[in-house]
Order: sequence, then C-alpha cells, then structure tokens
Amino acid sequence: MSHQLAAQAERNRIDNTRFFMIWARLFSYLLLLVGVGIFAFVTIQPVTVLPRITLAPGYLLTNQNGERVTSEALRGQIVLYNFTYSRCREGCSQTSQVMAEVARRLQTVDSGDIPVHFVTISVDSDYDTPEVLAAYARQLDAGNAGVAWDFLTGAENRVRWVVGGGFGVYYKQGDGQSIKLDPAFMLVDGSGLLRAEYRTAVPDVDVILRDINFLIEEAQNSDGPARFAYEAAHLFACYPR
Amino acid sequence: MRNWLIGLGGLLAGLVMGFAILWAIGIRPFGTPTFHGITVQSPERAANFTLTTAGGQKVSLKQFRGKVILLYFGYTFCPDVCPATMTELKQAVNALGRDADKIQVLMISVDPLRDTPEKVDEYVKHFHPSFIGLGGTEDEILAATTPLGIFYEKHDGTPNSGYLVDHTATVTVIDKDGYIRLVYPFDTPGEDMAADLRILIKE
Repeated sequence: MSHQLAAQAERNRIDNTRFFMIWARLFSYLLLLVGVGIFAFVTIQPVTVLPRITLAPGYLLTNQNGERVTSEALRGQIVLYNFTYSRCREGCSQTSQVMAEVARRLQTVDSGDIPVHFVTISVDSDYDTPEVLAAYARQLDAGNAGVAWDFLTGAENRVRWVVGGGFGVYYKQGDGQSIKLDPAFMLVDGSGLLRAEYRTAVPDVDVILRDINFLIEEAQNSDGPARFAYEAAHLFACYPR
Repeated sequence: MRNWLIGLGGLLAGLVMGFAILWAIGIRPFGTPTFHGITVQSPERAANFTLTTAGGQKVSLKQFRGKVILLYFGYTFCPDVCPATMTELKQAVNALGRDADKIQVLMISVDPLRDTPEKVDEYVKHFHPSFIGLGGTEDEILAATTPLGIFYEKHDGTPNSGYLVDHTATVTVIDKDGYIRLVYPFDTPGEDMAADLRILIKE
C-alpha cells in the first residue's frame, strides 16, 4: 500500500515539475516576444510624436476686437503662435506673412474635429491697441485666413512675462519705433504644452504643417488602445527627424 | 534527465535574453514608471521665482531643490475648487507616510489684494502642518504663474462673496532637480498623486 502511495507521489511530483516547466517556458517566450516587440517599436517607430517640451505660458490678454483671450480658453485647440508688432517694417522679420502662408496651406489639411487656432502677440503694448491690431489683421486679410486668428495685446508687464518669460523669445525696445525682436513660432497642444518651437524668420512651412498634423493625429487617438502606442512613443522618444 | 536539462537551459536563455533586451532599451520590467498626471519632458529647469513667506522672508523655488515640489495656485476666499484640491493634496501627503518629508506642497496666492502671505500660510496649515503658503506682488506672482501655464483673472462675485478670482486649477509637480515633470488636472485623487510621488522620491 505504502509502495503505491510513494509511486503516486512520485508521479505527482513529475507532473508538477512538468506543469511548472511548461508555464515557465511560455512565460519566457512571452517575455522574449515583448522584448522583440518593443525593440521593433523603437527601431521602426510606427508612431511619431512631438516632444512635450514644457508648459506653455498662461495669460490673459485682449484681442483685436477688444475681447479678452486667455490661455485657458484655448485648451483643447492646437495653437500656433508668432510675435510681432504692427510697426514692424524694414529690417523686421515678417513672421505674420509666414502665418498667413501656413493658414493658406492648412486649407488642404483635414483636422477633423480638432480646432487649429492662430495667435499673434504684439510686443508693442503702448502703440498696439486693439484698434491698431484690428487694422493690422485687415492688412493680412486674417478674417479670411480660414482659421481663427487672434491678435493679442496687453499691459507691458504681462506681455513681457508671456513672450519673454514664458516662450523665452527675446525682444527689446530699440531707437524710436523699432523693437529688436527675435523671430519665433511656437506650437502648443490642447493640454497647454509647448510641442515645437521654430526660432527662425523663415521656417519650413512643410515642417510646421507636418507638426500640426502630428498633433491632430495624436489628439484624434487620445482615447482607446491607440493611446498606449502614443504614450509608448513618448516614452521611447519617437520624435520626427 | 537530459531533456530536463535542455528545457532548463532553454528557459534560462529565454529569460536572460528577454530581460536583457528590456534592460538594454531602458525598460525595467519591475516598477516601470507609469504616471497618473500629464507627463512633461522639459529639457530645462523650471523658471525660478521669488515670493514672500508668512515670516516676511523672501523665498525662491530653487531653495526647495532636493524635495519633490507640488505647486498650487489659488486664494483663501476660493469657494470650492481650492479646498477640494488642498484636501486631495493632504490625502496624498498622508498616503506617503514616512516619505512625506521628501515632498513639499506650496500654495501661492493669486489674490494679492486680500491674501497676505500670513493668511495663505494659515489657510494651508489647516489642511496639513507641512504645507507652506506664499504671497507676492502682482509682478512676482506673474513671474511664478506665467511660465507654468497658469492664468488668473479677477472678476465680480456676489456682494456676499466679494470678488472672485478665476484661475487655472492644476497642480504642477517639480522633481528634486528642479524639472517640471507632471501636471494634474483638477479632481485628480490624492492616492494617484501619492503613487506618482513615490516614484519621483526614489529617483
């Protein structure tokens, strides 16, 4: 009797070992598969994202129609910023013309239900009243640009904190009416995060459009399982080259 | 016996390779950080700012380096949003237990007309004795709020409440080295914050 029991116990032991081995092996293969999968993801980069550079500044300013505009009101929208002043003439970078060009080309982009918004911030608080900016907007035909386009002005210290402190764009009052201003464009996502900066007077409009597209795609895939692919892309720094 | 050995060998090789690949690309299978807040990968440290403590001393963000900082902007007359957020922050600190001294909660008033630094500090200490309340002039507050994406605006309330201040109700997390790491939308539970903070404390 005890003989039989011992044999049974031995069989059980072997079964248990075998059972453990099968699962352990399956687990190791699974791990290998995950490893290879992640390696493939990083190498092939099926999803490209723009880096979350930093928080875009928070502000309260006034637009060309005398309405208040806040960074908070623009949440949920993709916002392209530039910085200028209405008396910006010769020797001053015409960044607003580039904005108009982006707006024109943006007509061919289907942004779905993700709104794209343009914001031009004036660094000439004293001269650029809402009325002056309204005239400036008319010159650019901003009303027919095809995107919502705000021209913002505000108290000198507030503008200084937003443009200089927040976006890190250098400007300084020069002689007479001129202002020394570094040309820059900033792309901000719906969560209020700075996602791309173009610190040049002549950015590649194709690159700006491509980047806006990246943000649209990311916003459209922000729900459901695709979200994990996007978070993985952030984790592995799958940035455009 | 031989089969058994081959099986074991294969198993070990699989495990080692799997972990090696994960390790090589920076994934730690045990305790991979997944945060609840919105992650920010800022390559630069958060802009420094200087404010005033209840004791009247100037204090700057830099001085808290070495601790994980949770920044909240509000005001003491705030009817609902601020107390709710401060309560979640209190729960986060309590959930951390012994590690609570490795973080610092700072509330900065966006209502310099009514809130003195003493008033803000007294207010936050109702929630937790370790919290610090700070105040400043309008320019000092703008220097703190703007780079962190915080907006605020005074507007009329009822005669009973006095005026109200609309403000961004997020909590910003700055790590021990001074980098902005996470942003919590309003209503993030304290336990979720505590889970993230444990990871940031260990870094």
